Amino acid sequence: MKRRELLTGAAAFAAASALAGCAKVTNALNDNAAIKNVLHAAEPLNHVVIGTRGNAKLYPDSAIDRDFRVNGFDTPSDSTYDGLRRDGFASYKLVVDGAVARPQTFTLPHLRALGTLAQTTRHDCVEGWSAIGKWNGVRLSVILALAGPTNAARYVIFHCFDRSSDGDPYYESLDLHEAAHPQTLLALDLNDRPLDADHGAPVRLRVPTQLGYKSAKWVQRIEVASTFKNVGDGKGGYWEDQGYDWYAGI
Amino acid sequence: MEAATAEGAPQAGAPTRAPLVYRHSVIARATHWTFTLAFFVLVMSGLQIFNASPNLDASDKSDPARRVLAIGAEQSPGGAPVGVVQIFGHQFTTTHVLGYTSDGMGGETQRAFPGWITLPGYQDLAGGRRWHLFFAWIMVLCGALYIGWGLARKDLALIVLRPSDLPKLLPMQLYYLKLRPEPPPHGKYNPLQKAAYTSVLFLFAPAIVISGLALSPGIDAIAHPVTTLLGGRQFARLWHFVAMIALVGFFGVHLTLVASTGIFNNIRSMVTGLYRLGPHDGVGV
Repeated sequence: MKRRELLTGAAAFAAASALAGCAKVTNALNDNAAIKNVLHAAEPLNHVVIGTRGNAKLYPDSAIDRDFRVNGFDTPSDSTYDGLRRDGFASYKLVVDGAVARPQTFTLPHLRALGTLAQTTRHDCVEGWSAIGKWNGVRLSVILALAGPTNAARYVIFHCFDRSSDGDPYYESLDLHEAAHPQTLLALDLNDRPLDADHGAPVRLRVPTQLGYKSAKWVQRIEVASTFKNVGDGKGGYWEDQGYDWYAGI
Repeated sequence: MEAATAEGAPQAGAPTRAPLVYRHSVIARATHWTFTLAFFVLVMSGLQIFNASPNLDASDKSDPARRVLAIGAEQSPGGAPVGVVQIFGHQFTTTHVLGYTSDGMGGETQRAFPGWITLPGYQDLAGGRRWHLFFAWIMVLCGALYIGWGLARKDLALIVLRPSDLPKLLPMQLYYLKLRPEPPPHGKYNPLQKAAYTSVLFLFAPAIVISGLALSPGIDAIAHPVTTLLGGRQFARLWHFVAMIALVGFFGVHLTLVASTGIFNNIRSMVTGLYRLGPHDGVGV
């Protein structure tokens, strides 16, 4: 009887230690730089195999989430953004520059005059939830055609107004193929109303073929470049710099 | 094979032993153990990913009205945090186990699955995804190699449940429950093994792969009828979770039977390939 109690006690202790030790082991494995590099090998594979091929499903207006979920960084509150916001973004100018033949600046009326397209698509967050919104905006391909990417151009980098709590600016990037996708929009309206500040006013990117973190809000400047290595930590986006995959199609 | 037969042959003065046979090919053994590793990584990193949005909805977009499972935390009247699980609207208190549990760093916090069962232990969605998306490839390649090899060698047929096995399922279950002295006559795998392996190979494994792929917006753009067939994107996330539970259930039954039907012989056969045939074991279909 005594021996059984001893064994039971020892087993319980071993189980408790094993449980506590489990997280220590998995944390150490996760922090190991060599393992991290091996695991990252799946990203280019997914990019090649899945890529950006089809079109995201289009929904009827009846599917729209009228109260579209707000997520991500806080709405910018610096003086530049606040100033723009106070006058209804009348003095907002979207800059398109970098590896382009004809650098551009667009006011909001100018963007609308290029012709807009409404599409109701599902926004899939990397966290696992999804919501449906009706996005109206200008095809990114139209903007890029006006600017004329040079032969050196490979990526389109989106510089945004918002900052992380550490002060790091939000940015994102697409390759030219993804940027030219007919559903990749610079959205100006959500659910038939101009974007409000919390949803990325006045201009946000919409990439319905990839996860939500690609769809950068509060876009300030679009830079066409041969590489994104010299922006931020060089991984192609704020969340990519935090360890997320650059290819966000999965 | 030759060595095995020699060892299995009766020796003068020694009691007759059943023969050792070469039961599992090197491909079957290698894919079995690689799959085992991938399975652990995928379940643990999957729970890490689940924790980032600890709800499952039977719908396309997220919809609280069609919520099947929610794991969260609430404040008790006394102010202490309480872990809460809601399944089909029924609420259970699960403090320290689910909802309010280990943060993977020695403390407790609001968190669906505890740190000792997630990969990594601490909250890190990017890390969980890194493990999950790499080992998903390992699992799929392992499965493809196993099935491809089995088809090429024509021995995959041994594991597939056939209509003629159906009447033998109940007698086999009765034998396991010791309500019948002898199992029904069978080949390399008994009818219950065939049912279990067939459902894993051709139902639950494909279901977990397809429902996982349906979660990818890139795949969804290529093949949204698949997502629609599953009931939508959040429903696909629910199917992915249900298939995981089914596979974990299979794993539990598998371990129980490995342990109760000659643990040494079973493990040896999956390490070296050599298996000592029992009185009821067959070798063919």
